[in-house]
Amino acid sequence: MSSVWWVVCRKELRETLRDRRTLFVMVAVPVLLYPVLLIGTEQLFLFGARNLRAETSPVAVVGDPPAVLLDLVDASETLVLTPVTGDLVEAMRSDAVTAAAVVGVGDGPDGTREVILLFDAASDRSQRGHTQLRRVVEAWRDTVLVRRLRDRGLPATFASPVALADSSIARPAEMGGYTLGRILPLLLVMMTVLGAFYPAIDLAAGEKERGTLETLLTAPVPAGAIVAGKFATVALIGMIAAGLNLASMLLTFQTGALQVTEAIGLEVGIPLASVALIFLTLVPLAVLFGAVFLGLAVHSGSFKEAQNALTPVYILALFPAMLPIFPGIDFGPLLAITPVAGVAFFFRDLMSGDASWGLGGLVLVSTCFYAGLALVFAARAFGSERVLFGGDEASDVPSEPWTSRFFKRAGPGRVPSREAAVAFVAAVAVLFFFGGIRLQIAYGETGLLAAEWLLLFVPALLFVVVGRYDPRRSLSLRAPRAQYLLAGLLLIAGGLPIVWLIGWLQSFVLPIPYELLEGLEELVTAQSWGRFFWLILILAITPAICEEIVFRGVLLGGTRTLDPWRVITLNGLVFGAFHLSFETVIRFLPTALLGALIAWAVYRTGSLLLGMVMHFLNNATIVVLTSWPVTREVLSDPEAVPPLWLVPVGALALVLGMLLLDRSTTSSLEQTADEAAAP
Amino acid sequence: MPTRHFPPVFMINFSALTKRYGPLEAVRGLTLQVDPGEVYALLGPNGAGKTTALRCLATLLKPSSGSARVCGVDGSVDPLGARRLIAFLSSSMGLYQRLSAKELVTFFGRLHGLEGVTLSRRVDEMVELFAIGDFSGRLCGKLSTGQRQRVSLARALVHDPPVFILDEPTLGLDVLSSRAIHDFIIRERARGKTILLSTHQMEEVDLLADRVGILRRGELVAEGSPTELVQRLGAPNLVRAFLALMSDWALAPGEGSA
Repeated sequence: MSSVWWVVCRKELRETLRDRRTLFVMVAVPVLLYPVLLIGTEQLFLFGARNLRAETSPVAVVGDPPAVLLDLVDASETLVLTPVTGDLVEAMRSDAVTAAAVVGVGDGPDGTREVILLFDAASDRSQRGHTQLRRVVEAWRDTVLVRRLRDRGLPATFASPVALADSSIARPAEMGGYTLGRILPLLLVMMTVLGAFYPAIDLAAGEKERGTLETLLTAPVPAGAIVAGKFATVALIGMIAAGLNLASMLLTFQTGALQVTEAIGLEVGIPLASVALIFLTLVPLAVLFGAVFLGLAVHSGSFKEAQNALTPVYILALFPAMLPIFPGIDFGPLLAITPVAGVAFFFRDLMSGDASWGLGGLVLVSTCFYAGLALVFAARAFGSERVLFGGDEASDVPSEPWTSRFFKRAGPGRVPSREAAVAFVAAVAVLFFFGGIRLQIAYGETGLLAAEWLLLFVPALLFVVVGRYDPRRSLSLRAPRAQYLLAGLLLIAGGLPIVWLIGWLQSFVLPIPYELLEGLEELVTAQSWGRFFWLILILAITPAICEEIVFRGVLLGGTRTLDPWRVITLNGLVFGAFHLSFETVIRFLPTALLGALIAWAVYRTGSLLLGMVMHFLNNATIVVLTSWPVTREVLSDPEAVPPLWLVPVGALALVLGMLLLDRSTTSSLEQTADEAAAP
Repeated sequence: MPTRHFPPVFMINFSALTKRYGPLEAVRGLTLQVDPGEVYALLGPNGAGKTTALRCLATLLKPSSGSARVCGVDGSVDPLGARRLIAFLSSSMGLYQRLSAKELVTFFGRLHGLEGVTLSRRVDEMVELFAIGDFSGRLCGKLSTGQRQRVSLARALVHDPPVFILDEPTLGLDVLSSRAIHDFIIRERARGKTILLSTHQMEEVDLLADRVGILRRGELVAEGSPTELVQRLGAPNLVRAFLALMSDWALAPGEGSA
């Protein structure tokens, strides 16, 4: 008897290959789109360039130009000397002239004459005119110089003692691989993952939606074999998509259709030996995403729902694949074991011909490991009747309108629902991101202060008042006991060095931009006592109150019904994400950890005040450390190793704090549970 | 494959079966037996637990307590063994849109371990029995509802099991197609098959069922032949008998969450 998984796989393949959507993504897109897109772009570029080259540039020469210069401009084939009456800038804006030279009055035969070239940096035509005009002015300058030298009996080489020229030793193939290696990984990862996207949805959620899963599972075959068959199909489709994309890309480049790259001296071609290897790295990737998508899609009840659930995962998965585009990131073991990033970087190095086999092996092994994990997760989902049939029976129950989820638990002592709390924090984050930045730009540090109070604190209060929530319960307003405060102190004292260590370790993967360090140093370093207290106010007291009320107040209060690990992880991640900006990606992990630590303390004690104290302690410590000259030295050097003795001491303090909090809250937890159960 | 006979045991045996979804008890202590060659109909309003009970028997769901056995095989102990003994037909029919009728029946034959000549002979039998021949090469997505119902039956019966579980088999079918299903049920009963079906159609019950079980909020509240039930409840017909049993439920709609 042929294996069940193979029976399932054959059937799924047959069905999938009859699906136009899948076929389109898998075959039509790579086969047609690459050549069309790449050649089209190139043709467009060439067309534009040709047009620009054929065009002559009308230019103006005003001021006190010598006849020699005017003759040179006149003699130029590409320039048309155009007289300007009225405003010169106006004439340029209206495209009457593309560039202009404003020539100053000469100060004697041996003096210097000032020439200003006017052009519009935002216009291709003006830039071309500028370049051509500049060449003519330079030619005039050289003529004058040679004449002066000759008048004094000096050779023309007198004024150019050094002839400087750049020459890259990169072989053209390397150069092509280097450039391509940055973009191709992203494209190939994108297409491989996309190849697995629709089949996974169709084979899991689609099957649920059409009711076929039920009949399939009444066949006398183990669920594991069905998952294996489906998974094999999705992974295979992903691989086929990867292979077709790779082949189509190779053909497009290999046929030499890209005249642009040739024109600028790049030899674009992927070594054939590398192609096999590139494909080999894409295989585990297809396997990984096949399993991830399948496991996620089976949780959704319909094709559409699954599409909504999977799209963010797909987009998220592309971020690591974008990393090779950025210069200056070296491929090391940490990146090799990072999902997707490892494949993308190994791919990049393969293209430029200096791949490390050890790292390649690490990528292969780790990707296979993640794929295995994802497969276990998918198999578990398929084995869970709650996932497969959950909610079906309950669908007979008249459901409440979705809006009721925002407003339920009415009456005294009510807390915001999970949906309401998350929606509020999302809204505040958007408000803070756009409004806060504007305030900071306009008013500097005062703007930051205003943003925290006006865009975080006030909305949180309004939310509680307008929503008629019980402030004490929804914001965890319980007075902390003395032990809690001691525990909080220990947690922060222990957490700080650990977070520092983690930040330091992280700097190997994500280097800290120096501009940011300088900016930060300026912001948090106090040179006088007045400045110090001001910094404590804006950087320690204010965030401790305003950010805590939003994250450990509203968000924690609304999500308290989840299980503890989720509450704390979610809180940390949201807190980290809130502090995220383009320059401060590096702060995400440390901030998220701090947020999670505080969230845990507030969750255990039900005391927001404890969270505020901890937040204050953390931020104030940083202000003190960066203001005190001795510690500032160490902190401002990102490569300085953190004093390692602090790590075990910190860990000890952290553990002590946790134990203290854990012991002192076991009794009060029951009380919290009673409160939570109260209507 | 010859029909199996297990004379000493019930063909279908629910024993104190309870199924919970979180706090919700969908089926509560269900106990009922079905004899060989009997057609048993489960009646009940939406959410009464009919589908849950059938799914437990078909091993799609695990009972929270109690058991559901087919020919003495406990589905939660030996699910694959139990599945070999049943044909399960759900109201959604569950056909793969992009497989042809014949491919679909063949696929399920393979899943049931048939292969080679045995498989193709059995598929041909099914094609003939359900008169699928004219459209056996057409994709299921392109078939009419009646045609799909026939393919669906062929799919469920390809392994010739002794017990049929039919969840609302005539849902959404026109009179003619429903009639075909009824004929099929009567014919299979004559062949000695045991049939458990759920339905909302009272005339279907009158026509087909040897015995009826009425479920309300997960509990079996009445059981017997249609005539017995009507007599016992002093109702003029089965519809009124059913309504009488549901009346206190209907008076308290706030409890409709069961």
